[in-house]
Amino acid sequence: MIRLQNIEKVYRTDTVETLAINGINLDIAKGEFLSIMGPSGCGKSTLLNIMGLLDEPSKGLIKIDDTDISKFSDQQLAKFRNQKLGFIFQSYHLINDLQVLDNVELPLLYRTSSAKERKMLASEALEKVGLSNRLKHFPTQLSGGQRQRVAIARAIVGNPQIILADEPTGNLDSAMGNEIMDILINLNKNEGTTIVMVTHDESMAHKTHRLVRLFDGSQVQ
Amino acid sequence: MFKHLFKLIWNKRKQNFLFLSEILISFLVTFAVFSYLTYYYQNYSRPLGFDYNRVWSITYDNGQLPKNQDSLSTFYDNLNKSLKAMPQIEATAFSSNNYPYSDSFMSTGLTQNGKKFNYVSNFIVGADYQKVWQVKLLEGRWFLPEDVVTKDKGVIINETLKDQMFGKGKATGKFIGDFDDKNKLKVIGVVQDIKSNGDFSPIGNSIFIRLDTGYLKWTGTLLLKVRETADATFESKLYKFMATSTHGAVEIKHVDEMRDSRNEVTIIPMVIFIIIASFLIINVALGLFGVLWYNINKRKGEIGLRRAIGASGNLVSYQLVLESIILATISLIVGCFFAVQFPLLNVYNVPSSVYLIAMLLSVLFIYLLVFACSLYPGKQAAAIHPAIALHEE
Repeated sequence: MIRLQNIEKVYRTDTVETLAINGINLDIAKGEFLSIMGPSGCGKSTLLNIMGLLDEPSKGLIKIDDTDISKFSDQQLAKFRNQKLGFIFQSYHLINDLQVLDNVELPLLYRTSSAKERKMLASEALEKVGLSNRLKHFPTQLSGGQRQRVAIARAIVGNPQIILADEPTGNLDSAMGNEIMDILINLNKNEGTTIVMVTHDESMAHKTHRLVRLFDGSQVQ
Repeated sequence: MFKHLFKLIWNKRKQNFLFLSEILISFLVTFAVFSYLTYYYQNYSRPLGFDYNRVWSITYDNGQLPKNQDSLSTFYDNLNKSLKAMPQIEATAFSSNNYPYSDSFMSTGLTQNGKKFNYVSNFIVGADYQKVWQVKLLEGRWFLPEDVVTKDKGVIINETLKDQMFGKGKATGKFIGDFDDKNKLKVIGVVQDIKSNGDFSPIGNSIFIRLDTGYLKWTGTLLLKVRETADATFESKLYKFMATSTHGAVEIKHVDEMRDSRNEVTIIPMVIFIIIASFLIINVALGLFGVLWYNINKRKGEIGLRRAIGASGNLVSYQLVLESIILATISLIVGCFFAVQFPLLNVYNVPSSVYLIAMLLSVLFIYLLVFACSLYPGKQAAAIHPAIALHEE
């Protein structure tokens, strides 16, 4: 599903050159639930951003669903992200000025779908995460766990093949974290969604199919 | 997308209050400027209605002239003949003091079919007034010497007054009443409208009444149409002749110079107003630019998110520009509500078309301003790297 070949990411300033990712090769199969662990600054989020086409590697090849995206224009990348990928972030990244339902509808706005269809799909996604009674609430009226569930609903509303989760339980207590993890596991199991999750939590990582460890930008496990 | 943005704007109405206020104030200022400019442009684009070139005005002290009406009449006849005998003079006409560009006004009221017409400019003119000013007759005729002895007092009215009194029909031969409708005046001619107070002045109602012997004792203005050969030497000679004839102070003015100074009275405040308004608009533009820039920096996380979930850079830019346009539209609706009161209430007695054109121009200007101010911040928003924006948040 995702193939990374010899990926390198270098951040350059006038005086310093920092190697964030160093020659990573990774194959993630369709339907796999993979977790990435490592100490802070080891390049986990950078690698996830590269997989999510939010950042370009300095070197190497990325193939998603057998498509080489290296020659894609900004518009093609945007369309690809919209249709194939779903994102979950540690800090949820919900728009506080929009109601829950509108937040979940967001990815569908960049597709050709009617308002009615968007509303229906968003309601279904919210039902899957157990928030069908919070459609008209604003994110600030929800708990952290509920916000993350909204973020998951937003990630799955477009029915993506891949979900990239950057420390989805990082801001939550263990009970809430487990709830979120259960939703992701169910998604992976029931919908066959490929999930790549960055985490600091060893127990969460052990619930996934495979664990990749990074250290100083290199894969150590 | 439009509905989504409208919802977002509505939910953020408190944060957008500054932006909305700035647009509203800018609209009201531009509406005032455009009303001012449209009004003067409409006046300026109308024909002048007369020729001021080579027209001189002579004002003189009539205190030393004969007091007896017959003697005074003879004096003026002789003076007129002497002046006409000068080869540099084409035509002469005595006039009341309110001749074009004189900055002097005289008005009267008229009645027609019971309807009152107030503030009608009242020009008391000599027989050759038309020749001096080249006023164009649209119907009827100008005054003739025999009008002095006719039973009905003949008057000439301008086109605007004729339209108001008689519509599209003929006015010649019809009667109108004076201020209290006691005396009837017969319309003998209709002349093209004249802008007697400057190129930017509005056209009002005017009536021309023949200067009769009874008015001679009040007369202190003589108008001359001179030939091209009339030079400074002639002017000096004319001055001496008039001073000797009237035994008093004489002042000769060139009407084209009077026109320039009369127009300056309008142009100078107009330029000052435009400069002040321009500074205000520049400040507003910088303010808008600042507000948008601030909003983009505040919304980096949202922009990053939108990029992540499928918005291209261009789409992000388009969204921000569209948001500004929607916000501007809200302010413009409020602004238009206030602006439309001016034509509805007929404020300042200005034609409605002035306010409507000014509204349209102001709306276009504000849209252009908002578009221009949001274009660069929108472009900067499009350049925000999603990974960095999401990480910063």
